[in-house]
Amino acid sequence: MPDDQPGGAAVPGRVPVDPWIPCVLTWLLPGLGHIVLGKRRTGLVFMAVVLITFGLGVASDGAASLIDTRQPLTLLATFDNLAVGPIEVISRYATYGRMVYRLPGEEGDARQAGLTEKVRRRIRSVTYEYGNTFLLTAGLMNMLLILDAFDIATGRKD
Amino acid sequence: MIRSHFLNMVIFSWLVAVFFAYLTQSDGKDRIRVILIIGTSMGVISLIVAYVMYPFPLR
Repeated sequence: MPDDQPGGAAVPGRVPVDPWIPCVLTWLLPGLGHIVLGKRRTGLVFMAVVLITFGLGVASDGAASLIDTRQPLTLLATFDNLAVGPIEVISRYATYGRMVYRLPGEEGDARQAGLTEKVRRRIRSVTYEYGNTFLLTAGLMNMLLILDAFDIATGRKD
Repeated sequence: MIRSHFLNMVIFSWLVAVFFAYLTQSDGKDRIRVILIIGTSMGVISLIVAYVMYPFPLR
């Protein structure tokens, strides 16, 4: 279907859905949006690939990022972590033992020192860099899947 | 936990290859071709870069 003809409803055999629904479903569980759009096998492969990548990230001592106002790039890294969906809390609990997204307080704050120490412990791990790469890649993959699900739902892609 | 650098790299390469093959292709044969091209090239290029960097001092 040409790019200038929006509306997934026109594709034969596909149930028309609001394009945002598969996007939200993909965020909730990678690949779920594709399954809802009728691409069952592709969706299952995406689900497996993203979950394996994420699982390897957690198992390899990758650390979930925290927003540090002194380092603006941490905002992007945290956003990328969140892109993988609710399962992201697993990596956050594995890293910090609780749900935390922002480095609290000022420098020298006891809470900040505690979180920094937890990240340092991870950095000492031999596989920390691999773990981080796997975690960030899982998030990037899911962002592409969300965009892909949107394109399929709007009829821009078959 | 996988401690081997090479195995981590190979697993990463093939996961990325499968992902992009399914994202960009719809035909089964094309997907296999893309998986082989991306997976192999990522591994080979990484080894070439590693070989080129080998003479550089660690510190």
